[in-house]
Amino acid sequence: MSVKVLLAITQAFALTMSVAFLVYVVVIVVPYLRRKPAPVGDPADFTWHFFVPCRDEQTVIRETVRYLRTTFRKAHVWVVDDDSDDRTARVVRMLWRRHGGYDPYLHLVPRVRPEARTGKGDALNAAYRALNDWMGPEATRDDVVVVVVDADGRPAPNCLEVCAADHLFGDAEIGAVQLDVWMSNAGTPPPSRNPVGRWFGLKLAQLQDLEFRTAIAAIQTSRGFTGTISMGGNGQFTRLTALDSIAGPDEQPWRGSLLEDFELGVHLLTEGWRTGFTPDSHVAQEGLYSLRRFLVQRTRWGQGTMQCARYLRRIWDSPHVSTLGAAEMMYYLAQPWLQLLGSLLYPIPFILLIASTAGDPAQMWTWFTGGAWILFAIYGSFGLLPFLVWGPIYQLKCLRSKNILRGIGMGFAYAAYIYTFYVTSWRALFRLVRGRNGWAKTRRNTEQAAGVKVALDA
Amino acid sequence: MAVASAPNSEMARFPLVIALGALAAAGAAVVLAERFYRELEVRLAGAILDVITTSGVYVAPDRESVYFGLSSATPFGLRMTPECSSAFLLLPLLVVTMAMLYFRPANAKRLFFSLGISAVVVVLVNQLRILTIVGLVHEYGTDEGYYWGHTLLGSMVSVFGGAVSLVLFVWLATRKKKA
Repeated sequence: MSVKVLLAITQAFALTMSVAFLVYVVVIVVPYLRRKPAPVGDPADFTWHFFVPCRDEQTVIRETVRYLRTTFRKAHVWVVDDDSDDRTARVVRMLWRRHGGYDPYLHLVPRVRPEARTGKGDALNAAYRALNDWMGPEATRDDVVVVVVDADGRPAPNCLEVCAADHLFGDAEIGAVQLDVWMSNAGTPPPSRNPVGRWFGLKLAQLQDLEFRTAIAAIQTSRGFTGTISMGGNGQFTRLTALDSIAGPDEQPWRGSLLEDFELGVHLLTEGWRTGFTPDSHVAQEGLYSLRRFLVQRTRWGQGTMQCARYLRRIWDSPHVSTLGAAEMMYYLAQPWLQLLGSLLYPIPFILLIASTAGDPAQMWTWFTGGAWILFAIYGSFGLLPFLVWGPIYQLKCLRSKNILRGIGMGFAYAAYIYTFYVTSWRALFRLVRGRNGWAKTRRNTEQAAGVKVALDA
Repeated sequence: MAVASAPNSEMARFPLVIALGALAAAGAAVVLAERFYRELEVRLAGAILDVITTSGVYVAPDRESVYFGLSSATPFGLRMTPECSSAFLLLPLLVVTMAMLYFRPANAKRLFFSLGISAVVVVLVNQLRILTIVGLVHEYGTDEGYYWGHTLLGSMVSVFGGAVSLVLFVWLATRKKKA
């Protein structure tokens, strides 16, 4: 096979992947922009249980528990202490004993090694079993909803009434609902003395906010049409009977991959439940300020997505998932692999260009100024536009600001942000190959980095 | 609960291995016989140009080239290189078809139909690209016309044509059956 043919093949795949992504973005932008707020329901129709998995969360858990208990007075809060090395459990016990009595709505689920620290899914399963024991076998379960919230999570005060709506948990076929995710610190720079570090940290947090509130929200909204709305790790609402239907004899509705939230969604969908997404309410969490921690987090997510490829057969075999839905999920699960492929294919024309330029710079310059620059402009635009578009959308729709120039700037920054996934996908692959499948919990902003690892493995 | 296209007995009956093998063979044939494919493409381009132009067309299959405007002041020839051919744009479609067929063989008939239609669109889009170049060369002369036709408009036609063929493939392959 000649080099020309090989180049043509890589060009064909690169073009198809780019065009497919461009079409995908156009398809998801339209319903996202056209969506209107939906009616709410009565939260009193349901009983709500917040599950808060914790592994060394003493820096954030106090405020989170206080927030949940004061904002949602009738909701139960279950804190799972995954054998923390710090004083997480002690903080929760202190909050439990208050005003001379015990808070009946606050529950601590202590776990001890070696059973503990085996993954977020296992921690959530422990809470599920504790809830079952607490409820007893005779309790009504149809109207019980479990809400997974991160230790730094802040579900918006309206989240229960939004999720109780007729089109969400008011519909008996809906098994789970995912809230929109916002970054609580998108307007707060990190406490760094270095002005560049402060600016960079703030931008990184803002880009995470942009990503979740625009691109991911748009993907989730469009998944309403394909019937494949996926679950996230924070602001994840699941009907208890839906958890029961997939828990099995071991009472384990959450499974062991690094993307246990996506996994949960797959199990619910293939069991015949429908899932919902709502941007009418949100859960706020801390965006990461540190690029290093961000890359670790995204490596974990990429690796989790790769692990979940094992569900492709289950998804396609399910009579409850349409062909379009299965194709959408396959496209999602293929993303890290396509990024790997892209990182190999996309540089080829540039390498050839550099080689040709080195061989005959004058001729290449004539070729470039003679029209080839247009090609670069076209393909550059196609590479950037699908990301760039979210900047102005974020500015106009989420921040209600008419500063389009800032929006375009954010769009360019978002494109650069997304390109880091080419790095994290490779890191994820290396971890996968080396069998490092542990739970890498990314450290929070408030945890000091000096002398400690950025992430924790199981 | 949601009801979708369930696997049926057709799945068991359909010779999946043969179907996948046929698709893989088609992909291999496109790669190995790409020169022959390009010959066919220029022959098709020549036939179309023969119908819609009056200034003479000549096809040189051995050089994978088509010449047009022969009786005009500016006769011009286009060579179908591997990069310009639609041959390899069929490969991603074949790969996706194979993946979807592997996971849901019951959709075989629909997938082959979608593949066929999308492949025809890919071929036609490339012919449209050639016609765009010919039209612009005719309108603006060889230098200017070829410059805009090949570099800008030709690329745009490829991208939008590619988008149309992909959307068509997904739509045809995944739409729900009427009750």
